[in-house]
Amino acid sequence: MTADRRASWLKGVLDLLVLASLSEGESYGYEIAKTLADAGLGQIKGGTLYPVLNRLEEAGLLATEFRAAERGPGRRYYRLTEEGRRTLEEEGARWLAFDESVRAVLTKGRSR
Amino acid sequence: MSGYFDELTARLREAGVPASRIAVTVDDLRAYLADSGGDPEEEFGPAAAFAEQLAATAGQEAGEAASGERWTWTADIFTDQQRLNEFGEQGWEVQGIDRLGRFVCTRSEEHPQRWEYRREVVSPVGRDALTERLAPEGWEPCGTWFCYAYYKRPKAALVGPEAEIASPPPQPGRRIFFSPALYGFAAVYFVVALVLALTVLPLVQGAAGDDEPGTLVGMVVGAASSLVVFGGAVGVAFLVRRRRRRR
Repeated sequence: MTADRRASWLKGVLDLLVLASLSEGESYGYEIAKTLADAGLGQIKGGTLYPVLNRLEEAGLLATEFRAAERGPGRRYYRLTEEGRRTLEEEGARWLAFDESVRAVLTKGRSR
Repeated sequence: MSGYFDELTARLREAGVPASRIAVTVDDLRAYLADSGGDPEEEFGPAAAFAEQLAATAGQEAGEAASGERWTWTADIFTDQQRLNEFGEQGWEVQGIDRLGRFVCTRSEEHPQRWEYRREVVSPVGRDALTERLAPEGWEPCGTWFCYAYYKRPKAALVGPEAEIASPPPQPGRRIFFSPALYGFAAVYFVVALVLALTVLPLVQGAAGDDEPGTLVGMVVGAASSLVVFGGAVGVAFLVRRRRRRR
């Protein structure tokens, strides 16, 4: 039950978390997942992460570049577009307002 | 047999596994036993423990593919990589390998995407290091079988949105994929074992007649060793061939 609840929370905010993880510069799939895992959000598997990256790319919020590597097939790098940065600011602020409301109600409920 | 499956069904129901999932699972297991001809308790272990394991897997998969298709299949070691990549192109993602050695797969209904697979020969001790080495390229572990470790990678890691499948083909009707190489290997092994037995048996009988237990034991051990060495040689040749092909 706890794991299911966390999964549904993450589903609602993963696109914003991905955008936020790119706010300091470009990155690629593995590094994005690692950044989120290191932040305590658990392991985001490829089957969950890449569909989100694809949607953000198709929506014009991310730009991509494929770079060949000396070893292996190369990597697909993602960076925020201007629209992506604007979306992150706007939608991020909305999420934080929502989080504040949830926090206020839960805090009040627990203190009774 | 039905007593075993009745208990398994009841235990899975108690564990909260959906009835439709229980029906599919039990059908799968019955089909497997029909092929193998084994006893359910010997094949799967006690019903209570097996139900606990199946319920845990069902819960994990429910979180990973709430609204997707599920398909379980198997292939021999000669053809498994080819089949994995073939079905990966159709959107099948391996979630794990069950205790029967079958690939447990799911496919998203909303956004099916292409997957690629690789198989590595690795000891349990070296598995974590290998996983760590492959992770930056997007490979994730998706199951182990004896010395084989299987890895999957979404094609989207390389090609982005093009990896999504607009209209995936229907679920394959088969669940077992054995290659001609497996039958060839089995035939050669059988012939060699038969030739050795026919060669050694008269000698053993002769030795028994001479009442020399040391010679008898030596011959039997020698014959058994020959079989093991032959099997091992074929196995090593197979692995070497695979490694050369990867280079």
